[in-house]
Amino acid sequence: MEENMLCTKTHEYVVEKGGKYEIGITDYAIEQLGDIVFVELPEVDSEFGKNEVFATIESVKAASEIYMPISGKVVEINEEIVDSPELLNDESYENKWFIKIESKADQVEFADLLDYSDYKEEVE
Amino acid sequence: MTKQTFLHDKHVQLGARMVDFAGWDMPVQYTSIIEEHKNVRENVGLFDVSHMGELLVYGKDSLAFLNKLVPQDIAKLTDGKAVYCQLTNKKGGLVDDLIIYKLEDEKYFIIANASRVDEDLNWMTLNQTGFDVEIDNISHKYSLIAVQGPKACELLCSMGLKDLPKFFSIKKDSLLGIDVWVSRTGYTGEDGAEIMVKNQNAEFVWDKLLEYGKPFGVMPIGLGARDTLRLEAALHLYGNDLDENTTPIEAGLSWSVSKTKTEDYNGKDVIMNQLQNGVDKKLIGFRMLDKSIARHEYEVYADGEKIGVVTSGGVSPVRGENIGLAYIKSSDKLTTGAKIQIMIREKLHDAEIVKLPFVQKRNKV
Repeated sequence: MEENMLCTKTHEYVVEKGGKYEIGITDYAIEQLGDIVFVELPEVDSEFGKNEVFATIESVKAASEIYMPISGKVVEINEEIVDSPELLNDESYENKWFIKIESKADQVEFADLLDYSDYKEEVE
Repeated sequence: MTKQTFLHDKHVQLGARMVDFAGWDMPVQYTSIIEEHKNVRENVGLFDVSHMGELLVYGKDSLAFLNKLVPQDIAKLTDGKAVYCQLTNKKGGLVDDLIIYKLEDEKYFIIANASRVDEDLNWMTLNQTGFDVEIDNISHKYSLIAVQGPKACELLCSMGLKDLPKFFSIKKDSLLGIDVWVSRTGYTGEDGAEIMVKNQNAEFVWDKLLEYGKPFGVMPIGLGARDTLRLEAALHLYGNDLDENTTPIEAGLSWSVSKTKTEDYNGKDVIMNQLQNGVDKKLIGFRMLDKSIARHEYEVYADGEKIGVVTSGGVSPVRGENIGLAYIKSSDKLTTGAKIQIMIREKLHDAEIVKLPFVQKRNKV
């Protein structure tokens, strides 16, 4: 999955899957946050522009806002991480996506996103 | 340039994430705040608290001088005893909260907040006129390691500290041949001690505590868990729950204010008036009734009206829910069990006023 993943400098990722896009935060961001204790996701059908806040995630220390890497309409949310936010810290848990969206984003919206490998270089 | 304690390299070697705290580069967590928190409640944890301020007050007038500075009656202290105090300003607000230890006649030792040492020294010096007293800041000479948890005293005992001082007392001792001051105090609500040691011996003592602590399940604990532990025990944090515009009475610290002390002290008129006639704002504890988390500076509401502000908020790993401290307008209706709301990201979330502390303290008195 990592090879198709595009990342923002604010640690969100987006990856295309069967015509839809899956959005979440990077493994690096999760590690930096530490114990994740709260996740708030938007309602299905809500629409967001690129760089708009769509979710909030809280570690023991602080609340962080999560931004849309591209614009789109929410078609599915990951209820599991809302019910059990600590799953995000579990290395064996793979279902770490936040939302799935439909998007009509054009090239311009993708222009500032980084390949996963470039992102890793940027943060490390 | 941030300051470093003499244990800084140890924290980095242990894989700690370091953050700036009051100008010091300090470990916020080693593994996980929640895991570290639980380990202090169940076993024992080590905290580097060398950033805290240490002051010596000595001289002929030290007792009269200290009695002018705090609402507590320092005359009641016998040698080796300590008292939790507040350094009050003329309006009864808090310059800092402290622990004052009587070492011997005319010699007192003070532990102060790292973020407030300069203000404390300034305020003490301003009040010094007319008193035959010396104030020495010895913070840079000593390291301070807190050993906290139900197995803390067993651990120290296994290292040869057989005769630990009683709760809120201090004594000089020898730990594996190193001169230390051992104080039966802490900031977690658990039994334990704080070990003061000359800087050059800090790494040795830290390493030995980790080594001897293995059978007791010892873990190094960062400032993240220090904060969640003190919040569960409802111990105030200066800068969050205490400041220059808040009196000890408003802060729920009346228990620590002497009702019988005859000497005048800074802010006594305000504090005595509040004790007699009540306060306009008061500190309360609350628990969230949903999964949301209240944070410092969030607004508090009741019946659609803004009634106060959250000063500390976060998770309670032991209770498995989210808790906080807030200052609210005093009212007969707003007592234990009353429903309030916290404004979180422009939405009101239900909370309930609860008794403090959130988790029962287990200090051995």
